[in-house]
Amino acid sequence: MRVGSAESGVNVLALEGEHDIYTAAKLRDKLVALIDAGPSLIVDLSETTFVDSSILGALLNARQQAIEAETGFAVCVSPAAEPAVRRIFEMTGLIETLPVLETLELASAAASAGPPANENNSDP
Amino acid sequence: MKTTVTHEADSGAVLSLTLPAQPVNVAVVRQAMTGLAESLEIDARILADINMAVTEACTNVILHAYSGREENGSVEVEVRPARRRVLVVVRDAGHGFLPRPMQRDTSWRLGLPLIAALADGVEVTGGPDGTGTEVRMTFDLP
Repeated sequence: MRVGSAESGVNVLALEGEHDIYTAAKLRDKLVALIDAGPSLIVDLSETTFVDSSILGALLNARQQAIEAETGFAVCVSPAAEPAVRRIFEMTGLIETLPVLETLELASAAASAGPPANENNSDP
Repeated sequence: MKTTVTHEADSGAVLSLTLPAQPVNVAVVRQAMTGLAESLEIDARILADINMAVTEACTNVILHAYSGREENGSVEVEVRPARRRVLVVVRDAGHGFLPRPMQRDTSWRLGLPLIAALADGVEVTGGPDGTGTEVRMTFDLP
């Protein structure tokens, strides 16, 4: 888990390898701290090889926190990422909800544009 | 950790794992599943579905099966391949499958719907001796 910064001043939290219930608590804490700290946040999952519903839950909580804090938030999964990682977002219909973008540039633009849209029916 | 691997021609179990129901062990189950899939020549896409479904089933055991108890019990994973499909069973000795209110702070309850979407067949039943829960997932092979 490493934190960097995109050109536009948006924080980027990049994850690698497999993530499940074993790493979810640490990720949740990191997400809470980063959104608390202020700048908009991108979570880049392009180098991950596996994510499960615990990680989706952590991302949904972060999205909710970002909406409440009026901070930008977006997830990045590149088309070259492990197909199973992209698939879990497609299956759960979270691509648009979170939102999930294909490049850091697109994710950065989405996060810079403000908090995720707070749809009334955004529950998965 | 108890691991038994045998090779049988019929639909007997070729993998039977019993592990403490702890978060660190879900990756162990995926590793065992991945190794087995190679020897059974299961397609990478189907293996990815099996690994995701088995992860969700094991996570349910860790989060819910032993809640309210001081120590988590164990999770059992069994794999029974047949000619055109593979059966994966995840079993616990917990307090059974109980209706619960939503726990939105940590869980979005995505696990079972994901299993239902990934597997070609799913059965959730009480364990064979009347305690615990058994999730039986089948995956069709091409």
